Amino acid sequence: MAEMWITMGPQHPMTHGLWTLRVKVDGETVTDTEAELGYIHRGVEKICEARDFTQITPYCDRLCYVSAMTWAHSYVMAAEDLLEAEVPERAEYIRLMAAEVQRLASHLMWLGAFGPDIGNLTLMTWCLRDREMFLDLLQELGGSRMHYNYPRIGGVKRDIPIGWGNRLKAKVKLFEHRINEYEMLLDESTIWLVRLQGVGYATAEDQLNAGVTGPNIRAAGVNTDTRWTNPYSVYDQVDWEPAVEKPTSVKGADCYDRYRVRMEEMRQSCRMLLDAIDKIPGGANTHYQPGDEMILTKAPTRAPEGATGFSTYECTRGVSNFYIQGGGDGRGKNPYRLSIRSPMFITIPYVAKTMIGYKIADIPAIMGSFDPCIGETDR
Amino acid sequence: MVTAVTKEQNAEAAKAVVENLSSRFSDAGVVAEVIAHTSGKAYDFVRITCSPDQWRGVAKHLKNEVGVNYCAMVTGTHFPEGGADRGWEVAYHMYRWPIANVAAHTMTVLEGDKLKGDEIPVEFEIFIPLPAGDTPSVPSIQDIWEGADWNEKETWDLVGIDFEGHVNMHRVLNPHDSPVAFHPLQRQHKIRYHDFNEMYDDPQGFGRKPVDEGRVK
Repeated sequence: MAEMWITMGPQHPMTHGLWTLRVKVDGETVTDTEAELGYIHRGVEKICEARDFTQITPYCDRLCYVSAMTWAHSYVMAAEDLLEAEVPERAEYIRLMAAEVQRLASHLMWLGAFGPDIGNLTLMTWCLRDREMFLDLLQELGGSRMHYNYPRIGGVKRDIPIGWGNRLKAKVKLFEHRINEYEMLLDESTIWLVRLQGVGYATAEDQLNAGVTGPNIRAAGVNTDTRWTNPYSVYDQVDWEPAVEKPTSVKGADCYDRYRVRMEEMRQSCRMLLDAIDKIPGGANTHYQPGDEMILTKAPTRAPEGATGFSTYECTRGVSNFYIQGGGDGRGKNPYRLSIRSPMFITIPYVAKTMIGYKIADIPAIMGSFDPCIGETDR
Repeated sequence: MVTAVTKEQNAEAAKAVVENLSSRFSDAGVVAEVIAHTSGKAYDFVRITCSPDQWRGVAKHLKNEVGVNYCAMVTGTHFPEGGADRGWEVAYHMYRWPIANVAAHTMTVLEGDKLKGDEIPVEFEIFIPLPAGDTPSVPSIQDIWEGADWNEKETWDLVGIDFEGHVNMHRVLNPHDSPVAFHPLQRQHKIRYHDFNEMYDDPQGFGRKPVDEGRVK
C-alpha cells in the first residue's frame, strides 16, 4: 500500500501541549515518525543571563506548570552549589515535603489527562478533584495555586503554617484510599487493559542510552532513582522505596507498566510524606518567622568567574539538571550561562521512534504513558 | 526503607575512575580530577578537561571501559573575551548508573550501600575548551550515546557550536526558517530589561525593535 505522511499537532489531543508529530503510515501501521518541538520556546536560558540568582526562581517555576515546585527546587540546588550556601535541615524537610506533594499533584494531572486519551472521562474528574487537595496545601506554602516561588537559595521562603502538618496527614491518608479506588476503576476495565497492554515496549538499557529516565525507566524493571543514587535533600532519612515494576515482556515495559509504576510512586510519596512530617526538626506545629535561621541561611549573592554549579534532581518526569556558570553581568550577580536539561526534551524524540510498528490508534496511549510536558521541553 | 549510596562509596568510585583515566590518558594531556560539590551532601564527581581532537577517544573509553551509560546534558558557552584558546567551551555532563544486562521478566532491586566497584554511580563533567573564531567545532558523540543526539542539536541551534559528524542536524527550538548563523545564546545578542515607560507607551510591545535590527544576519 502507498505510504503517506500525516501530521498530528500542534493542536491535537494526543500532544498534551504544542508540538507536532509527523507520522508516516502504511495503511494503519506507523512506519516512521518525526517530532517537531519549539512551538513555545521562550528563551529562558537567555533571559536568565540578565537576571540575578534570586530573580531566576520564578522563571524555573514556569518551566513546567504542573510541577513548578520540583523545578524551582532543582534550580535552587544548582545555585547553592555555585554560591556555596548551606541549607538548614528543617528547610530540607520542608522542601522534600513540598516536592513530594507536587509529585502527587503532577502524577494526578498525568493520570487525569491520560484517562481521556484511553477513553475514560470519569478519571479526569476524579483526578482533578484530588489534585485540588494538594494544590491547596502548596498554596498555603507559596501563596499561589500553581507557581509558588517558594524555595530560596539557602532555605525556603516561609515556614509551614500552623496546622499544615495535620491537614497534610488527613489529605494523604484520604488519598491512599483514593488510589485504591482508581485501581478498582482502571485495572478491572477491559478497555483500559486492551489499550495499554502489549503496546509501546521499551527496555531499561535502551531508554537509558537514549537519555530517558525517571518513572519510565523504573517501569522497565530497575529501581534506579537519583534520590538514592545521587542523594540530595533528606531522602536518605525518610521511609520510602523507589517504585519499580516487573516488565511483562522480554521487550521491556509497556504502557500498562508505566501506568502501574506511577500509581506505586504516588503510594511511595504518601509514605514519605507521613514519615517526614513526624520527623521534621523543630516539630510540625512550630512556626518560625520568615528569615529565621531554622529555615533560611544567608547566602552570597555573587559568584566569581570560573565557579560552576550543577544539580541532579529526580523531577516528576525524569532527571532534571541545571548547570550554572558564575561571573556574569553585575560583577557576578547574574549567571554567565545557565543551562537547563529537561527530561522530556530527550524523551519525546525517543518515544516518537518507539511508536514505529504500532497502529495509529496506539499513538495516544504510547505518548500519554510517557507523561509529556511541553513547557519544560521547549523552555 | 531505601539505602542511599554513601559518601565513602562515592569517593572510592570517583578515585578509581580518575586513576583509570590518568593511567590511560595522562600522557596525552587529558586532565582528570576528583572535585566535590559544595552544597547538599557534597558528593564527589569527576571532572575531565580535554581538547576536541582527544574527545572521541576519551568518550569511547568512558563508554566501553568506565561504563558511562547516560549522557545527561550538553552545554555550549560563548566567551568573546576568553582569549584565543578559550573563545568557546562545550561542557558534557554524564553519569554511570548501575543498569546493565537487566534480565527479562525480572525486577532488579539495587541497594545503594551494597553496590561495589563499577556499579557505584559516578557523575562526570567534561570540559572541552575551543579556540576563539567564527566556526567553533567539536566531534559529535551521537553514535556513542544516543542521548547526546538531541542535546547536540539543541547546542548547535542555540549556541552555534558545530558537531562534526552529527547526522541529521537541524533546528529544534528556534524556527526552522531562522536566518543562517543566527544562534541566540551567543553573547553578541544582548538581552535587556524593558523599562516602565516603554511598557506604558507600548504595553503589547508591537513597537519594540530587536536590538540587532538592521544588521545583516
